[in-house]
Order: sequence, then structure tokens, then C-alpha cells
Amino acid sequence: MIAFVGFSLKRAWQGFWRNALMSLAATASMVLMLTLLSGVIILWFGLNATLTYVQGEVQVVAYLNDSATSQDVAKLTTALKAMPQVTTVDYVSKDQALADFRARQPEVANLVNSLPSNPLPASFEISLRDPGDYMDVATYLRGQGAVESVQDIQKTVSQMTSVINVVSTIGIVVLVIVGLTVLFIIVNTIRLAVVARSEEIEIMRLVGASDAFIRWPFVFEGAFVGFLASAITIGLLLLVQAPLANLLSSFFNVLPVQANTMVGQNVALIVLATGVGIGVVGSYVSVRSYLKR
Amino acid sequence: MVGPRPTDSSADGIPVLSLRGVTKTYSNGKSALRDVNLSVPEGDFVFLVGPSGAGKSTLIRLLIREELATKGKVMLEGRDLAKLKRRDVPRIRRRIGIVFQDFKLLPNKTVRDNVAFALEVTGTPRPQIKPAVERVLRVVGLSAQADQRPGELSGGEQQRTAIARALVHDPHFFIADEPTGNLDPLISWEIIQLLLRINEMGVTVLMATHNAEVVTALRKRVVGLEDGRVVRDEIGAAYHRED
Repeated sequence: MIAFVGFSLKRAWQGFWRNALMSLAATASMVLMLTLLSGVIILWFGLNATLTYVQGEVQVVAYLNDSATSQDVAKLTTALKAMPQVTTVDYVSKDQALADFRARQPEVANLVNSLPSNPLPASFEISLRDPGDYMDVATYLRGQGAVESVQDIQKTVSQMTSVINVVSTIGIVVLVIVGLTVLFIIVNTIRLAVVARSEEIEIMRLVGASDAFIRWPFVFEGAFVGFLASAITIGLLLLVQAPLANLLSSFFNVLPVQANTMVGQNVALIVLATGVGIGVVGSYVSVRSYLKR
Repeated sequence: MVGPRPTDSSADGIPVLSLRGVTKTYSNGKSALRDVNLSVPEGDFVFLVGPSGAGKSTLIRLLIREELATKGKVMLEGRDLAKLKRRDVPRIRRRIGIVFQDFKLLPNKTVRDNVAFALEVTGTPRPQIKPAVERVLRVVGLSAQADQRPGELSGGEQQRTAIARALVHDPHFFIADEPTGNLDPLISWEIIQLLLRINEMGVTVLMATHNAEVVTALRKRVVGLEDGRVVRDEIGAAYHRED
């Protein structure tokens, strides 16, 4: 068994370098595919994390008419506080909303100054005990004359879900196409390696080598291409990790940051499994058709 | 000494090789072998003669199970090759040593590594490889050339390397397909002497050849093939029929 593994690994290593240009081309195309795969996975993880965060959001935001009086506000505050589903009620006045906006977006603060009046509505920010009670509170608020609109989380959630579905579908289609192309490249690379060794294979058969001894060096060679490509891809991802994380956290500014290391580990594992898997399957298929004769 | 040999084996147990009614027809309709009967007992030395295209190579391909007979039975050491499981084919091939006219050596490996290759690819543990290789190199007289590559050897030395490789599994049956076809007469005799020694060690030898001088001089069993049929099977015979 040790002799077998040692023999196969040695021959796989020799085989890789015997046709180095082809092997490196196969590796490069696999790096491309795996990078694409990681991109899709990271995007998917990011969107899902955002979705989970939004779904778990236990706040109802209700925007008020500009005509709402302070009596209306006081009446609503009392009514809301009396509801058993509600934990806290915060009133944000128009002036407060503008101040918050200025603090959050200092770059456009001057732009707001040039407006004739404050465009931002006053609002209630209501925290709930349970996100499941969202609809009860939202329905109540929609029935009040002073309320202009209630932020519709259901709508946001369904929009995000359809974005995620579209991203997943496009991602999967592109990945399947690229994956098949890479598989084809691997099959051909290994087939060239097999042809280059046809003399050796003939001798191996004549002296009574089992199929395993003929097949596994090539399978290991494919696995080696996959492993090398995965390692390069993971290296590239580590290189761009910091700028990418910044980009992501500014893009999805609600994304919980602690998810990043876990996402990174998952992506690395998926990349490794896919790379080695395609390498093994490709070379197995290639040698199998050769040995069948 | 000259006389016909019975096609069925004598009382001395199972023959190493036995063909019964073997026909091989290729998919293009061409018949390479027709109703061949042959039995080779253990320890025999058989010359297989006949013109090119008579079916000698096809017969050898059937014996090493590169191909299967269309009709009839090919038995090696009592086992029907057609009923052999795929994974048992390598095992049976290790019991057969085979050499060819073109040696089939790996040019980038030394003599020692060419011989060791046969053991490496059949999963022989490393500590056993070196002594086995040195032993067969002594048998064929190539210990001094062990570190040379085939390109640096004479034709005779290359064939002896191939013989060493074929011997390293301790085969019971040795097939030589035109082993002297590429060699000059003097070197050919060296190779024949080596095959005779292997035969003396108890290994059954089947040698396909066009070398009339060798066949006639040695007076061994001669099986003649013509147009896919066995046309003669005589003990102590010459290359050409002596009617």
C-alpha cells in the first residue's frame, strides 16, 4: 500500500512536469473558475447574511405626515406604549431626522442646506418583543391618519429574496458552463499525459500491473492540478481579503462583521473540494476510456 | 528422434498451455487462427514457426489475454482465459514472461531501473526489489551494465535487459516473440543460449521465430502455423519439413 501510494505520487509529480505547459494551462483555467466560484459564493453569503439581518430586525419605522400635530404624536405614543407587543417607542422629529442624516452623510450635508425646507419626515421607531408581531403593529399604524407610511419590511425581504435567486441562478449557470469547460480541459490534459506514457502503459500491462497502478498516478496528477489551483485561488483571495471586506462592509453596511472569518473558511473549503474534485473526476474519466480498450 | 507429437497432453498433469479448437476472427472478417489445437506440457521448449501473417502474433496475443478467442478454449495452467475476471488478468500475466523483437525498453531508465519497473508497477515492497533485480541481472550477465541506458547498449544487451525484466517475476511460462529478429547471428546465439538456460531452470518456453538456423540446429519441438492453421507439430524437428 505504501509502495503503491509512493509510486503513484512520484509518477503524478513527474507527469505534471513532463508536460508542464499543458499542466500549468489547466491549472490557470481552473484558478479562473475557482475565483469565479468564490466570487459567487461570497456574494451569496453576503446577501443571505443581509437578508437574515433584515428578517431579524424587530423595529417598525412609521413615517408621519407633515401635518401631524404634537397632540397626534402624544396620542400615538401613548397608544403604542400600551400595546403588549411593543417594548420601546422613539419619536424622531423632522429636525432630529435632518441632524441624523447630516451626521451620517457629511458629504451631502451642504446639499441639504441649499433646500428651501426640510424634506425629511418625522417618524416613530418602535421596537418589538417578537418580529412575528410586525404585521399587527404595522396594520394598526397604517390605520392612523397621522401616519404617512410604514416601512414595509416584507417588501424589502421579498425584493432581496428575488435578488438572491437571480444571483444564484446566474451564478450556477455560469459556474456549470465554466466548470464543464475546465473539466474538458483536465480530461484533455490527462489524455495527453496518458498518450505520452502509452509506451510505459503497454509495458506495465505486459508485466502484469493492475489497472489501479496504471490509473492512480494520472488521477493523482489531476488531483495535483486541482490542489495547486485551489491553493493559488485561496492565496489570491487572502491577498484581496482586506480591501474586499472594506468594500463589502460599506456595500452591505448592515452586515455583521463577525461572519467574515466563517465565510472565509467555508469558501476555502468549497474551493479546495471543487478543485480537487474536478481534477480527480476529469482524470478518472480520461484514463477510464483509455483502459477500457 | 523426429516424430509427430500427440495434440493432447500426456499423463504428466495439467499442461502449462492448452488450446482446443481455437479460432480467432477479427471484426473485419479476417480469420487469423482456424481451429488450432495445441498442448504444451511443463518444461517444454517449443519453436513456433511459419511465414509472416500465419497467425503467430495472434496466437501470442491470445496467450497473454490481450485478445480473446472467437471460438474454442485457451487454457493457461488449467485456467480458461475467457473466464478470467478483469482483475485477475494482471496476476496471470505475472506468471508469463514475454520479450519482443523491439525489446520495449524505456529509453530514459537505466538497465537496473527498467528491470525494477516491472516490480514497482506490480506493488512489490521496495526492500524486495533490489535483491531480485540484482539476481536476474546476474542470470542474464548484465550486472556490469546495470547503470547504463538502453541507448548505450548493444542490441544483444538490450534484449538481455528485456529478458531480465521478463524473468524478475519468476514466470512459469516464457514467451519470446522473434527475440533474435533484430540481432546478428552471433548475438542471436547468445540470446538462444540464455533461453535454453531459462528452460533448464524449469520454465516452459515458447519462441516464435524465423531463424531457420537456430531451429534446425537445436532439434526441439516445432509447431508450424500456416494461414492460421497448425500444419505441423513435431519433436526434434528442423525449421523446414524433412519429409
